[in-house]
Formats: sequence, structure tokens, C-alpha cells
Amino acid sequence: MKNKSQKILEQTLSRRFIFLSLLKSIVVGAISWRLFDLQMIENQKYEKLSDDNQFNYHIIPPERGRILDRRMRLLAGNMDGFSLVLNWNKKLNVDTLIKKILLVVNINERDINNFYSSLKEKKNNFPKQILITKNLSQKDVAKLAVRNIQFPEISFSMSKRRVYPQGIIAGHITGYTGMFSKLDKVNGDIVSVPGLDVGKRGLEKYFDKELRGKFGRKRNEVTSKGHIIDSQIYENTKPGKDILVSLDMRLQAFAIERMERGNHNLTSINNKIIKEQLGKKNNFPIINNNFVYTNKNKKIVNAQSGSVIVMDIENGEILCCVSSPGFNPNIFSNGLNVNEWNKLKNNERAPLLNRSMSGVYPPGSTIKMAVALAGLESGIIDYKTKFFCKGVKEFGTSNFHCWSKNGHGSLNLMQAIEQSCDVYFYELGLKVGIDKIAIMMKKLGLGEYYNIEIDDKAKGVVPNIEWKLKRDGVNWTLGETLNASIGQGYILTTPLQLVTMVSRIANSELAVNPSLIIDNKKKFSKLNINSEHLKFIKKAMEEVVVGKKGTAKNYKIGSKKIEMAGKTGTVQVVRISEAEREKGLIKNEDRPWKRRDHALFVGYAPVSKPKYAISVVIEHGGSGSSIAAPIARDVFKNLFRI
Amino acid sequence: MIMDYRKNKFATESSLNIMFIKFLKINWLIVFCIIFLGSVGVSSLYSAAGGSWDPWAKSHLIRLIFGIFLMFIIAFIPPKFFYKFSIISFILGLLALIFVKFFGVGSVQRWISIGGINFQPSEMMKLCLIFILAKYFDHLSKVQLDKLFPYIIPLICILVPGIIVISQPDLGTGLTIILLGLAILFYVGISLKFVFISLLTLISSVPLIWQQLYDYQKNRILVFLNPEIDNLGSGYQIIQSKIAIGSGGLFGKGYLLGSQSRLNYLPEKHTDFIFTLISEELGFFGAMVIILIFCTLIGSIFKISFNVETLFSKVIVFGIGFLIFLYLSLNIGMVCGLLPVVGAPLPLISYGGTSLLTVLISVGVVLSINIHKDKI
Repeated sequence: MKNKSQKILEQTLSRRFIFLSLLKSIVVGAISWRLFDLQMIENQKYEKLSDDNQFNYHIIPPERGRILDRRMRLLAGNMDGFSLVLNWNKKLNVDTLIKKILLVVNINERDINNFYSSLKEKKNNFPKQILITKNLSQKDVAKLAVRNIQFPEISFSMSKRRVYPQGIIAGHITGYTGMFSKLDKVNGDIVSVPGLDVGKRGLEKYFDKELRGKFGRKRNEVTSKGHIIDSQIYENTKPGKDILVSLDMRLQAFAIERMERGNHNLTSINNKIIKEQLGKKNNFPIINNNFVYTNKNKKIVNAQSGSVIVMDIENGEILCCVSSPGFNPNIFSNGLNVNEWNKLKNNERAPLLNRSMSGVYPPGSTIKMAVALAGLESGIIDYKTKFFCKGVKEFGTSNFHCWSKNGHGSLNLMQAIEQSCDVYFYELGLKVGIDKIAIMMKKLGLGEYYNIEIDDKAKGVVPNIEWKLKRDGVNWTLGETLNASIGQGYILTTPLQLVTMVSRIANSELAVNPSLIIDNKKKFSKLNINSEHLKFIKKAMEEVVVGKKGTAKNYKIGSKKIEMAGKTGTVQVVRISEAEREKGLIKNEDRPWKRRDHALFVGYAPVSKPKYAISVVIEHGGSGSSIAAPIARDVFKNLFRI
Repeated sequence: MIMDYRKNKFATESSLNIMFIKFLKINWLIVFCIIFLGSVGVSSLYSAAGGSWDPWAKSHLIRLIFGIFLMFIIAFIPPKFFYKFSIISFILGLLALIFVKFFGVGSVQRWISIGGINFQPSEMMKLCLIFILAKYFDHLSKVQLDKLFPYIIPLICILVPGIIVISQPDLGTGLTIILLGLAILFYVGISLKFVFISLLTLISSVPLIWQQLYDYQKNRILVFLNPEIDNLGSGYQIIQSKIAIGSGGLFGKGYLLGSQSRLNYLPEKHTDFIFTLISEELGFFGAMVIILIFCTLIGSIFKISFNVETLFSKVIVFGIGFLIFLYLSLNIGMVCGLLPVVGAPLPLISYGGTSLLTVLISVGVVLSINIHKDKI
């Protein structure tokens, strides 16, 4: 019995033992399979997760490229600055800390707002560094550093700050940079990096990609608590390319100074009369801390506003592109506050407007070359065609006046351009017709954007019959042709278009396009205008300056070798009614600024072998011959160093 | 005949000679596995501390050496000694557990402090349970074991310490104790009908057990079922552990180079999650070597249990082998996400004195039974 039960027991034990061993094998098998699955099959997934744990990547912005003028003068560069960084952790009371910091140094509102928004963005509660401001001066750093017992949570780091040594002189051209915001178009490889500056305007915007360079990456090894224990460069940064522009800052500086002065005088503020005036009102612009512009009556006046562009007629390079009033791009790098911005935005002279490219003006008499060429090219007139000017052209019910009240008498084309006779061009315009004039204007480059390296630019208006029908649904009237023939009415041009027009006339062979970049490979298409006709027009432009009755005869350069040729233009801003005309015209200076005429001058030099073209537009400056022409002359004198 | 070893036969032989014979009879494969796994433990703890002997590797090594000595000493003790002391050891263990319940050290009452050394009675309880069950069934071997009635006392012996330990609260160790006891009951031949009935009862009582669990224990089980519900809290452990294991690949990131452990993403990397560290640094290959060595160890122990004569020896050796197997499967199952995080150390490798000593003493007992299985 004993043995039997023993036997049964042993059998049971063996069976159960085998069963449990089997169970064991199954469990070990399951564990092994699990490990195989985790480590071999899903390895890559977990490797990535492990890397995500181990490292966090920081993007290092590259140093932004510089902008240089044709003589390698710096237009935009980088300066070492200091950044203030907060070593944030969960326990920190940020508000009181920031308040305490603000008691010591000034941090502008925008940076504080940016700081708070990046504070909100953080995903977890791990400690991390958050940028407070990039614009800390050395003085601020010192102030905070001596109090570092009060602020153990802040640290400093070196950063680059954008500077524009030329300041206001080239503000419209260089543009400025600003913090990347969601409003900016995402182009290509742009990454949103806190504190990244992107071009917002001008060349900074156009060449943003080239200037920005390639981002580098820093790889930080972080512990589970978020402490950085190791940091290495993972990808090198590639600094941005330098951009070489065709501007000549010497000329640019001279031109803006000359243009803003206009025909006014520079008077020291220490002058008695001036002091009195300054006492009453204090928003006059003061030049170089010491001078103000005064008119003949010793009254303080505003600087002239307008545009001066000088362009190389052979390759289209722009040597000088002034728009006044301008803005100083440096104020954007320092962080612009709302007040400063509003002041810029609401200024009635619109300093943010780049008049050279975005400002549109009726071309006035400067269009007459185009009208004349349209007539010559179409064969409707020849060099000898004469019209009679008695000071007014009656057409339909209205009278179209010539600027010369008494008329020019009978004159030929050359004389008409020289003296800028309006009636001649009324007659000519009527004969040629608006469509042919428009074709010629387009040939000469009006109504075009060009591929110039600035994004903000205006197209202007080159009207024709179809254009009007499309816009207003009304037929073109011949009266409008008369207006267009002297560059008034619908027609609108930018100073850049005017200088391009003159460049093409002076070049005579190629349809030159303006460019801010020095590039020898540029190719221009043929102009396709009879060179004889152009020669004739050029001769007429020469006569404007050297001729006895030329409208710019008082502003010869006077050098034996170099003389300029050109065409003046005066644009009526307000329509003069017959009644006003009867009473006698009010002198420009006596009208409110907004109602004064625009003064224009386009030209080129030297006459013997044209090289540079110029366009001068003075907003509400008076007559083209009295204010725009001398500016052009002086700019040429400076350019040719006479 | 069976209980022959209870009679003292050694007196006639010279003790030195006997010692030498016994020494030759030691199962060296088991000893090799122990030393190998212990060394893996020391080097892993060295790595866990970021390449430093402090604070774990050094004391683990000291404990290991001490424990192996103890193991050899126990190996030379004749099994009748264990037979005699099984009841008293169980009662002592039970008393220690009750003592811990009321005078325990630490926020969870697991340890008692004896002379500055913290001691975890629940670990030792496992061995005591094996002893008492072995003795009980050895007595019972004369009657039919396929009746239900004789299993009531063993069940009480299993459930009392098990429930005390779970209430400490230490779910992992408590479950180990209960599972171990049940496996022994199964092994000695409890009727399959009863097994099925108890399984059904267990399953139907799941909601009841659930209510009795502590919140953190419930949470652990919930998180086990879906770690993502709490990826920074309780699920964090298991997610990070899986990342560490998975990122190891075939050959691992290299010794001392595991980023997850080095950067403190691994929780409890020196105790329950030491296998994660090994898998991360040594890869699938290293993990499989360790599992293989464990299997060799367990296999050799099972083989001994198959070969010994008495039921007492069989149950003890089987129990110890199964205990190591339970440790291993619970721990690895837990770190690789197959089981909820219940807290089970990896024998010989995890840092922790009591579990190390328990395993070494147990293996000492196995060696002893192996040495003394043939009447000398």
C-alpha cells in the first residue's frame, strides 16, 4: 500500500514537474520574444525616443551677412551685444523678478511681451533658459552683474545686434530686420527660432535668405531633470553672405543733404532770430545738432522731401537712391516701442515711404521726350514740324494753358523741348494719340516694376484708351490726351522709372534696367528706337541746359569737359481754376505746402559721352527749373568731382 | 529507508575526509552561475552609479562574497537540520513579519533594523514557506495526497504571510509568496479539479480584491494596462524602461554608456530596473546571456529536485528553483512591460541585501541537498 501510494505520488510529481517546467519554458520564451521584439524589431523607434530623451537640440542662428556699398563701406553690419537670459524653473516667481530687473535696467515693452509669450509656450515643467532681451548695453550688464545676489536666476550671453552705420541716409534701401513673427512669409528653410531676426524691408528682406546663412545646431545632453550636462556643436553655422550693392554712400550722403536743403539756407541755431522761433515751437528738425533750414525771410522751414536717383546708363547700377524724409533703421534693432512707431507712421511726410520706388508722381514736362519720340517714331512729325503757341490752347469748352502766359510763338520740336512749351505738346499729343504715346512710354520703361532688389515698389500708371475703359468704363477723351502730353492727368511715374527712362534715352541702344547689385553679366534687350531720333532728343535735352532759352540754363555745370543735359518738370498738384488764373497765380512759396507744385528734373551727364542719368523729384518744391535742376547739377558736380 | 539521512552516519568517518568528499560533490555549475550572475550584478551597479563603486557596487560585492561563504557553509550542513528547523523558522519568519507590521522602518513597513542593518523579513519568508510546506508534505506522503482536506493547513501557511506582506504594502513580494506556495501545492499533486475551482474563484473574486488594493497599487495596474495614461507619473517608469531596453538593440550602447540610465531617465535603475540598464548597455545579446545563465541555474536546480529521493528534498529544491524562476520572470516581465510594476528584484543582480542573501542561502540549501542525497 505504502509502495503503491509512493509510486502514484512519484508519477504525479513527475507529471506536475514536467508541466511546470513547460510553463517555465513558455514564460522564458515569452520574455525572450518580448526582448527580441523591443530590441530587434522596434529598435529604431526606441532608439529615436532615447535620443529625444538624451539630447535636445538648440538652433544657433548664423551671423547675418553684411551689406556693403560699391566702395566696401558698411551699410549694415553686426555689433556685439548682450542678451539677458532667465534660467527658469518651476518655483520661480517670474513677475516679481521682472519687476525687480526693470527697476535696475530698462527693457523695452516688446521684449518683455515676447518674453512672456515664450514663457507660456514651454511644454513641461523642466527648468530652461528663456531669452528676456537681446538689447542690453555693457552698462546694463554691469548694473545687473553687481546685483547678481539679488538675481541669481539671470545670466548673460553674447549676441549679435544689427547695426546700420549709415543710419537714416540709406534706411529705405537697407531696410531693417525684426523678430520673426507668424506674419512673415515662411520661405524655404526658415525655422522659427526665438530671437531670430529676419529682414522686414528693403535689401534686408529681399536678400534675407542669402544674408541669413545656414543655421547650426547645438546638441545638449540633458538629464531627466532638465539639467544640461554636455553641449556640443552638432551642425556648424554658415555665416550669411555679404551683399555688395552698387550704391556710393559718399554720393548718397551728399545727395540727401543737398536735396533736403533745396534752395534754403543753413543757419546756426545760435542765431538770435532762430532762437526766438525755436522757443515758440520745438518740432523743427535740427541738422547736426546745430543747424536749421531757413528761407529767405530767416524763417525756419522743414527739410525738402523727395527723391534723388543716380543711375549708370550702361549697366543700370544705381549709385545713389535717396528718399527723404527717411527713417533710421537702427531704431528697429534697438526694439521699437509703440510711440516711436506711431510717430513714424503718422508723420504727415510719411518717412516710411520709399519715394524713390514707391512714390508716384505725375512726370510733368519730363515726359515730353517720350511724347516727342512717339511723334518722331510714328513719322507724324519730323524735326522741323512747327506749332504756334499763344499761351493757351482752346480745346472744346476748356482752355489748356502753357506755363508761359504770353506764349512761345512759333517753335520747332527742339525749341519746344528746350523751352518746355506746353501748347506745342498739346498739338503734338493730339496728332500722335494717346496709344502711341503710351507705347513709347512703356518702351522707355514707364509703368514697369523692374527686377530691382527692393520688394516695395509702385508700378505707376501709363494710361491708354483701353486702360481707361477698363478702369472707369468710360471712353478716353481728347482733353485727357492733352493733359497726358504734358505729363499731367492720369499718368503717374516713380522717380526710379523716370531715371530709367532717361537712362534708356541716353544709352540709345539698350533698354537698361535699374539694379542695386553690381553684376557684370547683366544683359539688356535692344531699345529699338531710331538712334537718329534719340540723338535729336538728346540734343534737345542738351539745349535745355545750354540753350539761351533753356529752362535749366542757369544751372550749367560749367566745366569744359563735362556738361549735363536734362529736362525740367513742374507738376501742378492742384488744378488751377480759370478764376484763379484771372487773379494771377499765387506764388508757390505762399501756398500751403501741400498745394505747392512738385519740382522735377531728369537728366544725364556728361553730354559728350553719357554715363550717368539722374532724376530729382522734390515734393511740393516749386518749379523744376528753380529747385530740382540745381540739385541735379550739384549732385553731378559731386559725382564728377568738379 | 527513505528517511535514512536522519540517522547520524557521519560519526564513523573522519570529518576532514567527509568535508573533502562533500566538497567534491558540490554542483559546480550552480556555483558558476551564482558567481557569474553576482559579478554581473556588481558591474551593473558600478555602471548604474555612473562608473563608481559607490554607493552600490562596493557593498553589493561585499554582500556577495559574504553570501557565497554563507552558501558554502550551508551547503555542508546536512538537510536533517533544515528538516528540524523548518517549523521554528516559519514561526520566526511570521513573527518577524508581524513585528515589521507594527515596528517597521520606513514609510512602507518592509524592513526591520537589526544593529543598523536593515532587514526585509518578507524575503526570508519565502524560504521559510518552502521549508514548512516541504516538511508538511513529507509527513503527508504516507497518506493520499489527492484529497482536498490535507491542503487546508498549507493554504493557511501560504495565505497568512502572503496577505501580511501585501498589506505592508508590498504587492510584488506578497504575490511571489502566494504564487510560490500555490506552485508547490500544485507540484505535490493537488487535484486538478481543485485547481480549476480555485482559478474560477480567483477570477470571480477579482473585483473584491480590486477593492482591497491601495490606490497606488490600483494605479500601477491601470497604468500597466495603458502606460500612456500617466506618462509623467507611474507610466513614466515603464515607458522609460521600454525606451531604454528598446534602444539597446543587438549589442547595446556599450558598458557605462547607457544614456537612459546615465541621465537618470531610468527609475530604480539599481534595484528593480537593473535589467533595463543591462539590456540598454549590453543589448539583446547581453540580456539573452543573462536569461540563459538564469535558465541554466534554474534547470540545474530542477534537475536536482528530479534526482533526489525524499519528498522533503524534492519540494525544497523544486520550491527554490521555482522561487528563482518567479523572481526572474516577475522582474523581467515587469521591466519589459509584460507585467504591471509590482516591485520584484532580479535575484543576485539587483541591489538589496535581503534578497541576495535569501537567494544565496536557498542555493546553499540546494547544494546541501545535492551533496547529501546519496547516503555518505
